[in-house]
Amino acid sequence: MTTLLSVEDLRVWLDTASGPLSIVDAISFEIGVGQVFGLAGESGSGKTITALALLGLLPPGARASGAAILDGRDLLTMRAAQRRRTRGREIAMVFQDPMSSLHPMLTIERQLTEHMRYQLGMSGAEARRRAVELLTDVRIPDPEAAMRAYPHQFSGGMRQRIQIAISLACDPRLLVADEPTTALDVTVQAGILHLLHRLCREKDLAVMLITHDLGVLSALADTVTVMYAGRIVESGPTIQVMGRPRHPYTRGLVDSLPHPEAKDRVLVPIAGDPASPESRPAGCAFHPRCRYVEPACSTDVPVLIQVDDGRGMACPVDPLVAGLKR
Amino acid sequence: MAFVLTHIVPSDPAVANLGDRASSDPVAVRLYRQHFGLDKPLPVQYLVYLGNLLHGDLGESEQSRRAVSTDLAEYIPATAELAITSMVLSCLLGITLGVIAALQRNRLTDQVLRVVSLGGMSTPQFWLALVALYVFFYLLSWVPGSGRLDAAVLPPPHLTGFFTIDSLAAGQYDVFVNSVQHLILPACVLAAFNMGLFTRFTRSAVLEVLENDYVRTARGKGLSELTVVFRHVLRAASPPILTVVGLAFGNVMTGTVLVENIFAWPGIGQYSYRSAIALDLPAIVGVMLFVAIVYILVNMVVDILYGVIDPRVRLE
Amino acid sequence: MAATRSANPVAKAWRRIPGAWRQPLTIVGFVLVATWLLVALLAPWIAPYDPLAQSAALFQPPSAAHLLGTDELGRDVFTRLLWGARISIPLAMMLVVLAFTIGGTLGGLAGYLGGWIDELVMRGADFVFAVPTILLAMAVVAALGPGLFHAVLAVVLVSWPGHARVVRGLVRSTMQSEYVAVGRLLGSPAYRALAVDVLPNVAGPVIVLAALEMGNAILLLSALSFLGLGARPPAAEWGSMVSTGAEHFEAWWIGVFPGFAIVSIVLAFNFLGDSLRDAFDPKAIIKARGA
Repeated sequence: MTTLLSVEDLRVWLDTASGPLSIVDAISFEIGVGQVFGLAGESGSGKTITALALLGLLPPGARASGAAILDGRDLLTMRAAQRRRTRGREIAMVFQDPMSSLHPMLTIERQLTEHMRYQLGMSGAEARRRAVELLTDVRIPDPEAAMRAYPHQFSGGMRQRIQIAISLACDPRLLVADEPTTALDVTVQAGILHLLHRLCREKDLAVMLITHDLGVLSALADTVTVMYAGRIVESGPTIQVMGRPRHPYTRGLVDSLPHPEAKDRVLVPIAGDPASPESRPAGCAFHPRCRYVEPACSTDVPVLIQVDDGRGMACPVDPLVAGLKR
Repeated sequence: MAFVLTHIVPSDPAVANLGDRASSDPVAVRLYRQHFGLDKPLPVQYLVYLGNLLHGDLGESEQSRRAVSTDLAEYIPATAELAITSMVLSCLLGITLGVIAALQRNRLTDQVLRVVSLGGMSTPQFWLALVALYVFFYLLSWVPGSGRLDAAVLPPPHLTGFFTIDSLAAGQYDVFVNSVQHLILPACVLAAFNMGLFTRFTRSAVLEVLENDYVRTARGKGLSELTVVFRHVLRAASPPILTVVGLAFGNVMTGTVLVENIFAWPGIGQYSYRSAIALDLPAIVGVMLFVAIVYILVNMVVDILYGVIDPRVRLE
Repeated sequence: MAATRSANPVAKAWRRIPGAWRQPLTIVGFVLVATWLLVALLAPWIAPYDPLAQSAALFQPPSAAHLLGTDELGRDVFTRLLWGARISIPLAMMLVVLAFTIGGTLGGLAGYLGGWIDELVMRGADFVFAVPTILLAMAVVAALGPGLFHAVLAVVLVSWPGHARVVRGLVRSTMQSEYVAVGRLLGSPAYRALAVDVLPNVAGPVIVLAALEMGNAILLLSALSFLGLGARPPAAEWGSMVSTGAEHFEAWWIGVFPGFAIVSIVLAFNFLGDSLRDAFDPKAIIKARGA
């Protein structure tokens, strides 16, 4: 796998009146060319902030450190103008709510073509042609009419397709999709996932798929990295992480999913509430909710270690072993 | 409605207009009333008025002894020229400063702009006009004094009533320059309040828009900050700003009394002042009609512009 | 950022005030308003001369003897400036209270009871809004005859709809809010809902409106006096002083200084109102608490 993006020791914190608040705490990962990289976690885990940090779209007051190497260049230390040029061109982002992410008063044509003309210097006619191509690619019916229309005239699923089209306009290498299907009806979700899958294969596009929905991950992602409270707790190929989760948190997540074939199995939720950045527990952030908690967990921050081939895990307690004890 | 209210006013217009000596003569008063139909019952007067109105006849002003419509036609363009100039100034300055204030939120620039804009809204126009005249005319002689033109300069041939446009159309560049010189100071004084108002309003409208996701999308496309602000943010913030600008325009067209008074500007403001003091009924009613039409027109234009800017508002 | 916290009692009391109220402009506004209130109260004692005392020293430019010069009758401008506060401020206060009482009651009734009362009140308000403020005020004074009292009435007449609208809006939105409906369901009598739920929410915006209206009231009153429709000479009212100043252009100090007085006090009320509006903004409160 050729590495496209290599993130090392990324930290993001917020400058507050009572001192710096850590949101993302030293995470490292790699995304390969054409790979669908799944980033899983609950709200508050820092996954969206990670994506925003990569794009340079952090909210005011937030700061990042570490390295994010794309094509030999570090995104985090680039000058602002250079950074801006990578946005849309090399990395593009698709957001959760397509209604609020599209400008309500600009035509689809404008929203599709403006960055093509600005970033790539295309002429109006070229950009328009390519825009129609893109709309066809994402399976929008009657693309010519769609160009003249406005976002509010489309359904949720259509809007998300349009957003995807916009993000692909300048042919980026990496597409970051933040909860792309969460705001959509279940019936529409499959269509979007299918679309992403197809585009990924056709254009050799790498996708960073951020979601809390394990179903989406298992359908689309090649690898899954699980985050909790700003740290990575587990990572590896999707089939393995979902099939045989090793970290107690991942275990809890998988266990809490209803299984269509085991109707009478008791659903086991994870006790407690997700940790918020302000009240992150000491030591392992998950330990207050963990079934396998041991005294050391409240003081030592677990380190991500490689287990097996291509799998990382950040828990000193091996659930398989611990499970045998109980 | 305008008609009824002016007739409810508890003073006798006959007395007010005839002067003390004539009004003590009952015959004169009766003749006056007869002439103006004041002795007929109120509803009849109203019908007569409406009938006349449809013919473009607004009655005769008791002061100038001319048709009110002639009076209005003479004074409206003067005020309009002043109003439009000051609106252009206050919009350009106010909206730009408001955007800057929003982008620099809570930093020094924002605080300074806040003080400046509140200052503009706190300054009495009549005083500002006097101070401006004193400094720029009396002391520095940068601008000529009051009135629309120097005494020696003849107005250009009448086309629109706007001295600036008319003089350009007639090729009289010296008249044009002179009329602009006379226009600047009162327009700036009138613009002071609105500039402050627009700055505050634009600032809050822009701040609200900046919180929206589509701004993040625009930035995520790598567009220049200027494009993001002016194409994406400002357009989304336009509707409320437009409403305020429309209202302000209505106010400027109709509330120029004090400034016109001080700058000896022969406009509707002065006319309405004189009419109100003298209780010149036809003139007052004429002015109120003018006011109503201004606001109706402004509302119409704002509604149309809403539809142009925001596609969601347009009827399918 | 929050390093060592001083044990100084003043600093402690200072920190107890909510963050949104500690903004520089709020403080400036408070200080200025307080200063002018003091001036208005203490003018008879701090003013160097009698405001009505004429002298032979006509049209004197500012000097050591007369800080802001003398006017066309030899009266001390500085004294008259200070005394002017005793006219403008109490009148404006009375005016705002009156306008709020009338407007607020009408608006509250309109919002609470709805129906034809609502229609009537709103039609009346619409009419006032339709007519340009100055013209309406002028017309009212012209009809009633010049004089400060009539001027105050005129300004009250143009101001009440503003208060009515705000109160009506607040009453209606609070009444439609769910917790009031719940209260009603649980059997609380209507007036209780009013006192406990409606009024506290109404208080904030109303205070903001009152502060801003004070500024507008002073502007309008001085404008009317400038036109000769409000205060009559020899009263030391700022607007009429500016009018005198207009007649005697060379003696600029007669008209310029009263104008500065107007600007400073209206600005003070505007600072106050504007900052308080931010302080009462629910989003601002959430942000302040979160940090």
